[in-house]
Amino acid sequence: MHLKVGNKFGDRLILAAVIALAIAWIAPLVWVFALSFKPDEFLAQRTDVMLSPPFTLKNYLNILGTSQVFGWTINSLIVACTQTLATLLLASLAGYGFARTEFRGKNVLFFIVLAGLAVPEQAIIVPLHAMFADLQMHNTYSALVLPRLALPFGVFLMTQYFKAIPKDIEEAAMLDNASRLKIFFRVILPLSIPAQATLGIFTFLNAWNDYLWPLVSASNPEMYTLTLGLASTQTNFAQSEGLGFLMAQAVFASLPVFIVYLFFQKYIVAAVSGKTVR
Amino acid sequence: MTVAMKVEASADRIQARKRGARAGQRWGNALFILPFLVVYLLMLVIPLFKGIWISLLEVDMLSNSADFVGLDNYVELFSDEIFIGAVLNTFYFVLISTPVFIALGLALALALNRPGRTGATLRAIFFGSSVLSVTIVTLVWKLVLMPHHGMLANITESVGLPSLSLLTSETWALPTIAVVTVWWIIGLPMMLFLAALQQIPREIYEAAALDNASRWRTLWSITLPSIRRTVALVAIIEVILQFQLFGQAQLMTQGGPNNSSRPIVQFIYEAGFRNWELGYAAAASQVLFAMMLVAMAFQVWLSSRKQAY
Amino acid sequence: MTKKSLIKSIVGVALAAALTQPVAAQQETEVTLSRFFGSCEADYGSVADVTKARGECGIITALVNKFNTTNELGVVVKPQVAEWATYYDQLTARLAARDVPTIAVMHESVLGDFVARKLVEPLDEGFEQVGIDTANFTEQAARGTIIDGTTYAMPFDTWAWLWHFNLNLFEQAGLTQADGSPVLPKNPDELLIQARQFKDATGKPYFGWITAGESVAPTRTFLTLVNQQGGELFRDNGHRIDMQGKEADIALNLMKQLWNEGHIKQGLDYSGAQQAYLNGDVGINVNGTWVIDNFVAASQKAGSPLEDGYTVVPFATLYDQKAVFADGHSWVMLKGGAKNEKERAGALAFLKFLWDHNYEWSRTGHLPVSKSIIDSEEFHSLPFRTNILEISSTGRTMPSNVARQRAVETIIGEEISNMMLSDKPADDVKQSIEKRVNRLISK
Repeated sequence: MHLKVGNKFGDRLILAAVIALAIAWIAPLVWVFALSFKPDEFLAQRTDVMLSPPFTLKNYLNILGTSQVFGWTINSLIVACTQTLATLLLASLAGYGFARTEFRGKNVLFFIVLAGLAVPEQAIIVPLHAMFADLQMHNTYSALVLPRLALPFGVFLMTQYFKAIPKDIEEAAMLDNASRLKIFFRVILPLSIPAQATLGIFTFLNAWNDYLWPLVSASNPEMYTLTLGLASTQTNFAQSEGLGFLMAQAVFASLPVFIVYLFFQKYIVAAVSGKTVR
Repeated sequence: MTVAMKVEASADRIQARKRGARAGQRWGNALFILPFLVVYLLMLVIPLFKGIWISLLEVDMLSNSADFVGLDNYVELFSDEIFIGAVLNTFYFVLISTPVFIALGLALALALNRPGRTGATLRAIFFGSSVLSVTIVTLVWKLVLMPHHGMLANITESVGLPSLSLLTSETWALPTIAVVTVWWIIGLPMMLFLAALQQIPREIYEAAALDNASRWRTLWSITLPSIRRTVALVAIIEVILQFQLFGQAQLMTQGGPNNSSRPIVQFIYEAGFRNWELGYAAAASQVLFAMMLVAMAFQVWLSSRKQAY
Repeated sequence: MTKKSLIKSIVGVALAAALTQPVAAQQETEVTLSRFFGSCEADYGSVADVTKARGECGIITALVNKFNTTNELGVVVKPQVAEWATYYDQLTARLAARDVPTIAVMHESVLGDFVARKLVEPLDEGFEQVGIDTANFTEQAARGTIIDGTTYAMPFDTWAWLWHFNLNLFEQAGLTQADGSPVLPKNPDELLIQARQFKDATGKPYFGWITAGESVAPTRTFLTLVNQQGGELFRDNGHRIDMQGKEADIALNLMKQLWNEGHIKQGLDYSGAQQAYLNGDVGINVNGTWVIDNFVAASQKAGSPLEDGYTVVPFATLYDQKAVFADGHSWVMLKGGAKNEKERAGALAFLKFLWDHNYEWSRTGHLPVSKSIIDSEEFHSLPFRTNILEISSTGRTMPSNVARQRAVETIIGEEISNMMLSDKPADDVKQSIEKRVNRLISK
């Protein structure tokens, strides 16, 4: 569309509108970022001055002086990464099985898995909590990750994707008498990287932002993920006394994912801009 | 490219060995599904049925006592005004947020489907907030919306308007949460739409350009029909996600004022983990489940009808 | 395979990161301490000199540090700080998951629920061993922690609902006496008259209390007003709430009128209420004992709207009886928390340590729970403490036979907020409270 010459004015107008919206979009973050450099005592009285002094690095130094945020971040990273990798593996295997192989009862099973799309985590949170309690498994990484691996959406996505890969490709590999598993890992999996990226990002963000299940499962503060940890310092008491520190924590906590995101974003754009087998 | 070459090079040999390669693998094929199925069974199917069973019990979480009470929990739910309110709130929230996600997500994708640094930067901005966790988001927005001293109050006061207190307004609490939610996770629908837009063959647009078709005509007759499956996909994803509203409401308004922003999930959480009534909570979960089923069936029906045209 | 090795490498990275932090020696006995009060590792993480700490968070953090560095049993107390708003939800979840902390902080109003379910250890024997004398508990503390003759918790403080004044604004409104103390209303009419006078003179609302974000403030105010009239809300041995009495009606109407006439600043959450008061936007901050120390600090700061103009009294008596909503923090040992005798001994030693340092905690503003400290010169010389001493006799909680008081408080507060914020008619509010509360406590 951008190739068109006649509509330059319209294009610019749209761009201007989007830029204006984008500025509004990041305003709250800029605001918080600026406030994180203000002394607590100052913020307790006013929050409407961003660019003029006083400034301080104390809030950030305080973070470096305490280990809590690091612990939460590590918990979050472990949970989110494990969950993402495990989901990709399980969903790819299953997706491949459904899309490209034949076996008895496949269609019924696929339907059953798809039906799981409709089951919200909240519908099963009470029994799930009871089950993990019976096994005395709460406050472990497994408890945080395992329930999230039953993600029918992932299987659905991968199945759709594998179906679209031309059959010839793997049939060629079959000629070499390669086993199905080998074909899957050597041929199919590399071809599905764009879909893996999509599902991976989706899973990672969901894991990262997960709140309800960790809230009831990771009840021991040592097992807090970043999300829970930030909630725990967000008590009203902390807010009135340590706003600046809290803001700095928020900024600090966002940094790793923002960095990861910037890497992945390039990757996503490349992946979705037509360089796929489709 | 390599893929295409491989395909070509081996195409003539396929027929010869095809039959032999496939033989005897029928059972082995199911092994691909097995790992997922085990997890799926343990973490979803069994809990689902166990949840239905628990919803028929009166369970006190702390004393571990359980009595079978039949459908009492359900009967009680439907005379519980807080629960009814939570159901209505949840529907209302889905109803106001999903169209915004679709419309704004698509609009942004259309506007930002451009090469170059400007487009990339803007995409990064709109997607960026998605990586924040819900507690950061609510913290930021609580600060922004703080009466008298928040960013919004600073803005409204500087132009002489009265300070708003959106989160304590019965009318505005839930819509405000919707705005915050859109701000938070507009990135996903935008990215899904962008991916779909870039799958549309360029030749079609070039043909349209030759025909001197207007921007709107191109949009309506080429772009939208090509991505209608993605629209349906985004709609389903958003309905599923927004039915599950919890953190934003719990952290920003605690469900108030006057129960105007308490979603079902918060009700479930409070019943189960604050009031220790697991049976009651499980029953509410089943109702949420049923509601989502109905909504999704409706959507699937709607989108399949559209595609028939 | 790939998955496993990847997980391994992730765990490896995590371990490496964890190892860079100081790790306690293996031989020590670890006592886990589940608490709220916020976390302030940044400011007090390495402070072991308790006298240097201020505020709830600072003092408890410093107390734990001091215990960890000075105790001779090789005990390390490890705080597990949870969010105040969801503290009990999480504690319950931990109990259900059988991942039980050794010691947990608990409101005395909540203790009954846990005792009734046999979830907390009786402590009389242990107290005797380490030398905590339950006869030294104040009346209020004993009422809160001793149930049917058995001690289930170590009281830590008594806190109550107070009026924190901005005397500078009160002076401007002509509502101070010759000695500089504020003029207190003696009945609802006086309250309204003075509130109007205050508003006319200063243009600011008389009260600022939390009206957004959490609902405990209206509950505490309402229960205070009902108790001051000698009203009883609970019937049938604590299994039914009755909102039809005239006391409830009068209390609700007064609150409604204050709201409608604009004497309560709108839209403040906890931090907002604090900020509004510190900025001199309201005459009185209605809040608990725990903020006294912070407000004293603000009044000593040059240029602060509170400069030299702070005082605090219990919620003014507007009806026949002196009464004010009160509760207390206490420490319990949960069943299944201490895994062995050593851990149990360590936990008791820590409780004894906290008991001995009750004065330090009372610097937050809370009332101490040991009779000898409450009568001590040391305590009396803290600012304004003599103003609020009467709380230990006029403090009122819900009757102890009412179950699930936390949830009940939330419901009452939510409904009263509805009346103020959303114009829900008082009669509907009463009905909703009865319906919702009775569902919970009738069983």
